[in-house]
Amino acid sequence: MTTVQQVLFELEAPYFGHPYFVTGHALFNAVARQVSDDAVRERLQVSHGVFVSGEYGEYPAAHSEDGYAGKLGQSLPPVEAYADLFVFRDAAQRWLLESRPRDAHNALDVQQYGGRQVFASECWFGKPEGQRNRRRSVQWYVHAYLHDGGADEVVPVAEDVLDGLRVGGGRNYGFGELSVADTQTVTLEDLDYSRLADADTYELELVSPYVLSTEYPGADDQDVPWWWGVPDAGVRRRETRVVDGDDEYVLGVVDHGQCVEYTGSDPLETAVNGVLRVGSHSRFGFGELRVRPAGADRVGERVTASAAVDTVRDDATAGGDGER
Amino acid sequence: MTAAAAKSDGETEAPPMLAVYRHDVHKLRGRSHEGAVEEVAGQRVNEPVPRGADADAAMLSRPRGDPEQTLPAHDSPFRVSLLTGETVTKETSVDAFRNAVRELVAIEEPESAHAAWLESDAAAVFNEATYYPYTSLKYHVLLAAALLSNYRAGAAFDELSLVVDDPDDAVTPHRTVLEAGPVSLRMTADPDGRPAAALGSAPARSFADVWSRLPELPLNVDGERQWRVLDAQLRRVRSWSVAMQLIEDYVDATSGAGGDAR
Repeated sequence: MTTVQQVLFELEAPYFGHPYFVTGHALFNAVARQVSDDAVRERLQVSHGVFVSGEYGEYPAAHSEDGYAGKLGQSLPPVEAYADLFVFRDAAQRWLLESRPRDAHNALDVQQYGGRQVFASECWFGKPEGQRNRRRSVQWYVHAYLHDGGADEVVPVAEDVLDGLRVGGGRNYGFGELSVADTQTVTLEDLDYSRLADADTYELELVSPYVLSTEYPGADDQDVPWWWGVPDAGVRRRETRVVDGDDEYVLGVVDHGQCVEYTGSDPLETAVNGVLRVGSHSRFGFGELRVRPAGADRVGERVTASAAVDTVRDDATAGGDGER
Repeated sequence: MTAAAAKSDGETEAPPMLAVYRHDVHKLRGRSHEGAVEEVAGQRVNEPVPRGADADAAMLSRPRGDPEQTLPAHDSPFRVSLLTGETVTKETSVDAFRNAVRELVAIEEPESAHAAWLESDAAAVFNEATYYPYTSLKYHVLLAAALLSNYRAGAAFDELSLVVDDPDDAVTPHRTVLEAGPVSLRMTADPDGRPAAALGSAPARSFADVWSRLPELPLNVDGERQWRVLDAQLRRVRSWSVAMQLIEDYVDATSGAGGDAR
C-alpha cells in the first residue's frame, strides 16, 4: 500500500523564500532539523508546498463532494477519488467563491522588509465604517504531502515534528514559521480512478517543475520524457536553485503550470507515479504530474460556457437566431 | 462559420472601432447603464458593441449573471489595487477625471483611440463594475476592442491566442492589449511564430491558465526575484482585467525603484 500524508500548515509569520511555492527541499530540511531518526532523513519524500487562502469555497466539479464547502481553505477536504488529491495543488485555487473578491484573496500580500519583497501571513480587508469589526483578515496556509515511496515506514510523520517548522530566508529572525492546521493520510490504491479509466485520450499538467539538468552531485540530467506530446513551440523552461547548507545548485527545469498531451499507454500508472513524482529531485517536490481526461478543462467555467455556445450554435442551425 | 463570426457589425452610429472605445463612457462619468447619455463632447457614446465583443470581454474578467457585492467596504466607480489593497485615487468625485475622459472621447481616429487607451492613466482609475472593484475598465475596453477587431477579421473566440510580443516593436492597432515595461501582450488568431497560448473554447476568467501555458514568459524570471514574485501572483489571478492591471501597476511600482524590490 502507498500512504500519502497530506499536511495543511498555517503560515504564522511573513515568508521570504521561493515565490511560487515552499519547495519540497525547504520543507524536507526543516523536518530533518527536527528529527533524530536516520530512516526519516533517508526515506522521507516531500512535495512542494502550495499557498492556499483560508477562505470560503465550493468543491470543484471533478471533486467527489458537491457544492458549498464552507471555509474550505482552512482544513483538508476529504479524499475519495484521484482528482480530490489536487484541490489545493493549483495556485489559481479555482474553488474560491465568486461572491467574494477571490482574486484579491488569492494574491499574496507583498510587504517590504529592508528592500526585500516578503509575503505576509495574512491579508486585511476593510469593512464599511461604523461596523463593529471594521476589518477582517484572510489567513494564508501551505499545502504539502509526504510519502516514503510505498514502504509506509516513516509516514505518517508525527504532528509535533511538523509543528513549528521554519522555511525560506530569515528563519532565525522568525520568518517562514509554519504550524500544523490539519493532516490526514490517504492510501493511493484505495482511490477511485474511474473518471480517468473512462477516458480515451489524456493531458498531463505539470503541477511542479520537472528537472532536466542539475548541478547537484550524483544526479543525472534528463530529457523531456518520451510520453509527453510536446507542442511545436516547445515547453517553457526556467532556472531555479536548490540550497544545501552553504552550497547552491542550479537546476534547469520545465516550468510548472504547463499542460502537454499524454502519449504513453498506461494513464492510471502514470497518474499514481505523478503523485509520487518522477525524475531528478522528485524526493524534494519536483516532477509532480496530474493526468486529466483530454477536454476536462482545468478552467471549469470555460467548459460550462462553451457548452452554452454549442447549444446556441445548435439552435442557430435549427432556425434559432443564434444570438447570445 | 461559427455563431460569433457569423454576426454582423449591426448598427453603430460611430464607426465600430471607435464605438468600442466609447461603449463604457457612462462608467467613466460615474453613471449607471440606464443613466447613460448618447452624446459626450459632441461624440456618440455608450452604443452597444457589435458581435458580442463587450459581453465576451466581460466574461474574461467577472462572473456572469446578477452581480453581488464582493467587497463590503466598496461601492464606488474607483478601482481597488490588487498591489496595495487601497483605492487607487484619493479623489471622491469622478469630476476630477472629467477632462481626461473628454480627451479620450474626443478622439476621432480609431488607431489613435487605441493608442490613447493603451497609455491612459485615467481609465485605469475606474473599475468595470462597482461590485467587482479590483477589475480595470481600461483593460476591459482594450480586451473588447481586441476581440471586436479579431471577430471583424473573421476569427471566432476559440481561434484566438494570447501572444507575447517584443516590447521594442511597435504595437498592433486594436490587437495589443497591454504594453507595460518588458510586457507587450496581444490577442490574435495568427501568432506568426511569436510565443502564444490559446485562449480556449470560450471566454472565461482564465488568465492564470493561459498565462501559465505560454511557451515563453515576457518576464526575466531566471534573473530577478521581483519578476518571479509577479509571475507567481499572475498564476493565481483568474480575472483578465485584474491581472493585466496588476502587471501595469507592478511594473510602475518596481521599475523606478532601481531593482529595489528583490
